[in-house]
Amino acid sequence: MSAHVDPVTFSVIWGGLVSASAEMGATLQRTAYSSAVREGTDFSTGMFDADGNMVSQGDYSPGHLGSMAYTVGKMLAYYPAHTLRPGDAMISNDPGIGSGHLPDMYMVCPVFLDETLIGFAVNIAHQIDIGGSGAGSQVVDGILDNYQEGIRFLPTMLYRAGEPNEEIFRIIEANVRMPEVIGDMRAQYIANQAGGARMQALARTYGIPVLRQAMRDLIDRSEVQMREAIGRLKPGTYRFEDQLDDVGPGTAPVLAKVAVTIGEDGVTVDWTGSGPQREAGLNSYLSYTNAYALAAVKSVTLPLLPQNAGTMRMIRTIAPEGCFFNPRRPAPCGGRATVSHRIYEVIMGALAQAAPDKVIAANSHFFNPNIGFQDAQTGRISIVWETIIGGVGARHGADGAEALASPWNGTNMPAEMQEMKCPILVERVELIPDSAGAGKWRGGSGMRKDMRMLAPDGNFYNLGDRHLFQPYGLAGGRPGALGRTLIVSPTQGGREVHSKGNYRLAENDVVSWQTAGAGGYGDPLERDPEAVLRDVRARFVSVEGARRDYGVVLAGAPLAIDAEATAALRRSMRAA
Amino acid sequence: MALTVGIDVGGTFTDFALMDDRTGALRLGKVLTSADDPSRAVLAGLRTLLAEGGFDARDLAHAVHATTIATNTVIQRKGLPTALLTTEGFRDVLLIGRQRRFELYDNSIGKPRPIVPRELCFEVPERLMWDGSVRRPLDEDAVRTAALAIRASGAAGLGICFLHSYANPAHERRARDIVREVAPEVLVSISSEVSPVYREYERASTTVLNAYVMPVVSAYIGRIEDGLAEMGRRRSLYIMQSNGGIASGDYVRRHPIRIIESGPAAGVLTAARYAEAAGTSNLISFDMGGTTAKVCLIENGRPGMTETFEVDMINLKPNSGIPMNIPAIDLVEIGAGGGSIARAEMGGIKVGPISAGSSPGPICYGLGGREPTVTDANLVLGYLNPDYFLGGTMALDLDAARAGIMERVATPLGMTLEEAAWGIYEVVSTQMAQAARAVSIGKGRDPRHFALIPFGGAGPLHGAELARQLGCGRVVFPKGAGVETAIGLLMADPAFDVARTSILALKPENLPRINELLAGLAADTGRELDACGVDGERHLVASCDMRFVGQGYELTVELPAGPYRAEDAETIRQAFLRTYAATYGERAFDPKAPIEGVLWRMAASIRTPRLTHPDLPADGTGAGAGVALKGRRPAYFRDRRRAEPCDVYDRYLLPAGARFTGPAIVEERESTIVLPPGAAAQVDAKGNLVVDFGG
Repeated sequence: MSAHVDPVTFSVIWGGLVSASAEMGATLQRTAYSSAVREGTDFSTGMFDADGNMVSQGDYSPGHLGSMAYTVGKMLAYYPAHTLRPGDAMISNDPGIGSGHLPDMYMVCPVFLDETLIGFAVNIAHQIDIGGSGAGSQVVDGILDNYQEGIRFLPTMLYRAGEPNEEIFRIIEANVRMPEVIGDMRAQYIANQAGGARMQALARTYGIPVLRQAMRDLIDRSEVQMREAIGRLKPGTYRFEDQLDDVGPGTAPVLAKVAVTIGEDGVTVDWTGSGPQREAGLNSYLSYTNAYALAAVKSVTLPLLPQNAGTMRMIRTIAPEGCFFNPRRPAPCGGRATVSHRIYEVIMGALAQAAPDKVIAANSHFFNPNIGFQDAQTGRISIVWETIIGGVGARHGADGAEALASPWNGTNMPAEMQEMKCPILVERVELIPDSAGAGKWRGGSGMRKDMRMLAPDGNFYNLGDRHLFQPYGLAGGRPGALGRTLIVSPTQGGREVHSKGNYRLAENDVVSWQTAGAGGYGDPLERDPEAVLRDVRARFVSVEGARRDYGVVLAGAPLAIDAEATAALRRSMRAA
Repeated sequence: MALTVGIDVGGTFTDFALMDDRTGALRLGKVLTSADDPSRAVLAGLRTLLAEGGFDARDLAHAVHATTIATNTVIQRKGLPTALLTTEGFRDVLLIGRQRRFELYDNSIGKPRPIVPRELCFEVPERLMWDGSVRRPLDEDAVRTAALAIRASGAAGLGICFLHSYANPAHERRARDIVREVAPEVLVSISSEVSPVYREYERASTTVLNAYVMPVVSAYIGRIEDGLAEMGRRRSLYIMQSNGGIASGDYVRRHPIRIIESGPAAGVLTAARYAEAAGTSNLISFDMGGTTAKVCLIENGRPGMTETFEVDMINLKPNSGIPMNIPAIDLVEIGAGGGSIARAEMGGIKVGPISAGSSPGPICYGLGGREPTVTDANLVLGYLNPDYFLGGTMALDLDAARAGIMERVATPLGMTLEEAAWGIYEVVSTQMAQAARAVSIGKGRDPRHFALIPFGGAGPLHGAELARQLGCGRVVFPKGAGVETAIGLLMADPAFDVARTSILALKPENLPRINELLAGLAADTGRELDACGVDGERHLVASCDMRFVGQGYELTVELPAGPYRAEDAETIRQAFLRTYAATYGERAFDPKAPIEGVLWRMAASIRTPRLTHPDLPADGTGAGAGVALKGRRPAYFRDRRRAEPCDVYDRYLLPAGARFTGPAIVEERESTIVLPPGAAAQVDAKGNLVVDFGG
């Protein structure tokens, strides 16, 4: 039995669901304890209809948002809808059910109006630790299976009719390094209640049948919009490949290879031919692979359209089982966030052939390492959960943005906050000159962050990439400079270390993370010399870099363009 | 004889309210704003007003001013070149920001144009730790070298922000002294004074904004003070700050960033003045203009406060603008105004955040606008009078508005013209209701216990509908629409906020330190109160941003009067738990968990006896509403589903005590009040229109 929803009511309910998702996020961030949630914004929120279809989301992290759509249905397989009661909260962090690694804890709360189930409020928060072999639970090297990575919850009822199951909380407390996890899970519950209350208010105002139909309409109409937008892309099959550096010290690269087909029934991303799953905490479960496919397609079609079950129906991921991008359980996956960039970028590279003016070149990579400390006196554990974020790839008509998350979304860590919480000193956070991929439009610069250890020792689990394969440029744009990680010790001097290695740090060791630069777009010899001069003045590019990468000759004090020498140099470079 | 004048500079008009302090008699005025230099219209308008009233300018004791000069300087990047000096290794702190995307999938997004270009960011060796201890002393020679380079660059302003300076200002103060020696012409702001709060990006951003607006604000205040001096008085200028308190010109010269929300704060304070008319001091201030609407919750007569907000946002999206950490009245601003553009999207109606502004403006203005706006919908619904817009000074093109809504909204959605216009009206009202719910229900307050105070050009058109959606039982439409803010300025008191970061666990042994800290803050505010030159009863309110140990965001909790003894630790703890439960719910926390204070604040104000509530003269002599009836015209309302004849009143002729019921339209020069069926209106003794909804 379906109700007709007039355009005004539809608009109001739509807006209400979107703002409910945003309000859940604000509540979660303000009530959380861990740095990952409150400073890193590593969480996401969404509202679902009573059948478990995703209707609206808050603007948080694409990896969570894209995976979330399937989570409710998978949870309901364990707890059928008719068994649920108001105030219930189900959790799961299973990589296949959720978003591909154990720290991401999903919480699903049914929303009732009186006795009727009207939908679900869902959020996912990245827990700063979920146990396993190393602090932060994102270790890559030496991890053979998922059982080494922490405690895993298949769908489990954490709150029953509003009452917390203290035994489950006790199990969690016993298995994680940081007590903040308990506080963050309470915060998740508060956030879902806030979202649920907003959905109840809509149901009370408009009636359950109207709310139900409006949610259905929203999903169906989003699908139509997405279908039309995909229809405006040039149909065909487009291929692209790139590599992930490796899966730990002394290992081979992972081939990331896609065939993206744009057809009448949507976009299909086929990973056949990509590398096999590996014995390292890096594999990308299918839900996660698919999440970044959604993000890539959305960014070249309808970036501002709300994402829901309807838009998602138009985008399919195919990956052979046992492939790195669709591993079999119990493949380990703790560090899979670092793969997000590669998933997005190979799809972007393929889409560049269909929509060259809508894509971006490869981004800087980001680092997401952890360092664990234990205080010798108190026994208290603290974790530096880091995000070192570089720049965005250039696009047709514009330089890539500096120091901006892409495609992953999150927030960096204030040094003042980190130093309050952990025995470290942040010595440097700055952009790296001459790291951006040159182009008619250049990429964003790489980011450097240096951190000194003030404790006698710490365990460092690095997590980065693009130390071996540069971020690609497009349409003649140059790739960005490689990233690297150094440990500078007072006794042994500096040494380059591996992007995914595990290291024991001593007091006064300095870790220096340096991300890659992002790729450029278009021929750098066509870049406006004035733009090059501006970059040199602002120290993004050196005088030598201007000459070497752009064929622009700068001289004098203050610096000025030598037009004649520039023209001559550019002629000779083109001829070469 | 003593006169006080309130002056509010808006985008289009500069409004004046001149009051005789002894009798409370008011004289109002309005002139066009002089956009290139707003002080010109301020001074010229004031001279005219004084002359028209036959006053002697020497009797002007106080001028209280709300200004957009600081905001406009930032948004239009009209300030002089400004530099940053920071800790070695952190030169890029402003450029990097917090790095979050404000649109997830849109690859064309960028960052706000920087206030300080990268080539004007300098760094020096020095380092403090979070407890304020010195790890590396300040390299004074390096400061000198940097000061020379800053001087050579031609920068007019400098913000100094060293890491952890909120815990120890010594390095910043020393660096400022050196810069003043080497480059005396550079105006310096230091973060430990501008915003002593942890998180380096937000603090640095606030500090450079202060430095950036300082030369412009300082010169502006100088022009107004000189102009007032020419009229015969000096040192009589007060300016509205973002926190709702007024401050002297001298104070604002040192802390110019504190007036960035001057105008909106004055608006909210004005709304707060209608508690008596509303019969409650729980109010929702609702200010709707051409491009945005601003909503603020006023609880027990006090507007909600925030400690952090953004300027120069893109489509008002969180994280898209430049953040600032200064105390300000907590306004939610959304992209919903009279000029907001409506369109059909996915079978629904979308309104805003894009606005046609005043140029090209709504279709009905006939200035080239082609996309239907909220104002066009109000015209089609019969709410606006095409012949009496801005008092009849601007004719509206009804046919063009109809055609535009038909083409862009009604036809694509299969609706009638009236349904589509009503849809636009309802959708935009709903967006504002959502914003109001976020600041009320989202913080544990029930909007049904609040009265709504609509103002601004479009506020009275949507106030009743907004109240209906929120369940507010009463709406007060203030008399004097269009110049309420200038009147509100007459009522404002001096207020100063100071704060200091010090992370202290809430336990009895820390109370002596807490007492010492608060006494220091009280002394700081005392000096500002002494200097402001206003006499009256002083009020000090201490508060603290507290959290459970391990959390990263705090809740502001008002503290009981000190000094504290050991048993007060439990009292303060209970106050925090009550605030937490009210905000996030009873089940949200473990009540046994330890608590700490982070940021200690003191809010000081002076209640001035001279500022009485002026009575606007009540017209008429107990006649009925009928004397003000101008006529009838068809207007569309939700429940009737078609346009029906509706009474139209002239607000200026409505006598005190007059009663009438909706549907009705009340016209005044700058706005129009729309009363739906069932609304019961009464004009109170002060000329306010008080509207109650059935039950």
